[in-house]
Amino acid sequence: MTLLAGTQPRWFPLAREEARGLLTAKGPWILAVLLVLWGYRPTYVGWQGLGSNMTIGFLQTAGSFLLPLGVLLLSYRSVVGERTSGSLKFVLGLPMTRSDILVGKVLGRSAGIAIPISAAAVTLGVIGLIRFGAFSPLLFCGVLLSTVVYVMSLVSVGTAISAVTTSTVRAAGAAFGGVYLVFTAFWTKFAEIIYATVGTAPPETTVGTASVNSFSAPADGLFFLLLRLSPGRAYRVLTNWLLGVGNSGGSFDAVITKLETPTSITIYTVESAFHGQTPPAYLHELSGVVILLCWLLVPLGVARYRFERGDLV
Amino acid sequence: MTAPAIKTEGLSKQYDEVTALDGLDLTVEQGEVYGFLGPNGAGKSTTIGLLMNYSKPTAGTARVLGFDPWTDVVACHQRIGILPDRFDTYDNRSARRHLQLVADTKGADNDPAALLERVGLGDAIDRPAGEFSQGMEQRLALAMSLVGDPELLILDEPFTGLDPHGVALVRDVVDSESERGTTVFFSSHVLGQVEVVCDRIGILHRGRLVDEGTLSAFRERLDLTAEATVEDIFIQLTDESVQQTADSARLREGNQ
Repeated sequence: MTLLAGTQPRWFPLAREEARGLLTAKGPWILAVLLVLWGYRPTYVGWQGLGSNMTIGFLQTAGSFLLPLGVLLLSYRSVVGERTSGSLKFVLGLPMTRSDILVGKVLGRSAGIAIPISAAAVTLGVIGLIRFGAFSPLLFCGVLLSTVVYVMSLVSVGTAISAVTTSTVRAAGAAFGGVYLVFTAFWTKFAEIIYATVGTAPPETTVGTASVNSFSAPADGLFFLLLRLSPGRAYRVLTNWLLGVGNSGGSFDAVITKLETPTSITIYTVESAFHGQTPPAYLHELSGVVILLCWLLVPLGVARYRFERGDLV
Repeated sequence: MTAPAIKTEGLSKQYDEVTALDGLDLTVEQGEVYGFLGPNGAGKSTTIGLLMNYSKPTAGTARVLGFDPWTDVVACHQRIGILPDRFDTYDNRSARRHLQLVADTKGADNDPAALLERVGLGDAIDRPAGEFSQGMEQRLALAMSLVGDPELLILDEPFTGLDPHGVALVRDVVDSESERGTTVFFSSHVLGQVEVVCDRIGILHRGRLVDEGTLSAFRERLDLTAEATVEDIFIQLTDESVQQTADSARLREGNQ
């Protein structure tokens, strides 16, 4: 037992306790049920584009909009809640550095949320298997793994906010007002406004109304990079790539609609904007992984810097 | 020679306009039971918070068991048991899980059942702490502080919310831990509880250590009878201190 304790990292018991706390609570399982209900959306166009692999697309649908909201909801209080209640005094009194505490929190809570979400993914897989037949198991695992990385990034952002705020109200404001609304739900709008304002847009797109829209998407790599800085869009760029539908941060069925059918809809895809020209190399779909990893590491790194130095009681 | 259990020099903590702690020089030798007394807001919890790395000092140095409490956190906390002030337990975790987390992190092999038995919570071992009364939470926190047989036990207002049985329990625990060689540093504003258990007391008032010594030395110096309680000593000393502060304030005003 003591030997074991010597080999495991200092944050491991805390992480295990965090995970256990979530797995025995209702919240993450309610989220899992909602994700199944939200994610199961068979569409004709999805079937046309992916066949039975449409089932794997359900994971992406489940991973959009509802999942970030749920994960942020389950993370934003992780540190500040304990700080205001006073239970943080026990954790801070344990033989761990404050950085160990943040690592234990992020990894433990990621596990505690990723396990119910994986259960939801498997449920969607089973339903899809019964209704639409066998899909590629490797592809399923790839999209599930991407979803887990996305969950970890969101937990990390939520925990980072929690570690540097002094009240749960402020943490909620930053998590939902800042991260969720700006960077997830309405990022496309913000990106259009930023792009039009900063003015790197080629003249033809800024003439007149100085606006950018997806019907006349600028063939500018920087604009597409800006778009995928959102963790949600980065996640969909990555999963759309795995699904093989196109290079876009939109939902997989919308991308299929835009690229495979004569219907024109309001989403951005690299293919339609660049019309056969070669897009810049940095718009490769793997940029989605890089951006998700940035969301995982950068806010937490900044939070760690402040958390290590400040007064916590 | 062993390092003192606690040694601070000029330890200070300033919060914006408020001086919570003002140049504290404190030495607690290993094996001592030291009572850190003072009225509410005197700076007791601030001191403990600094020693526990809950907060960082604005000036001064400290050594806990020879370690720097702000850079050698792991080494320090490995050897300390803490019962914090104004804490909260985890509502949906059992008493057992509370102790297990501490034991696992410290790599200690204490049996949670035995520790909870010791603080009178043997029956409540698998109940979630959310159902506990304040006294039970205090007992649970005391049990948590004992995990890993610490060299230094820091108890911040350990008598809070306890009935007379609980108070007797804390005293027993302090006695037996002290016999085992543990240094005990505890803060209190409930003075009657203190005199039975302390080797030495220090009196903190408005962020300054006003005086310290053994009870008998205090009685002698302040010309009090042997019946004089900590209460009497305390009131006399803090009154003096109020008087001094008022005097020096008046002096300063006079000089302006």
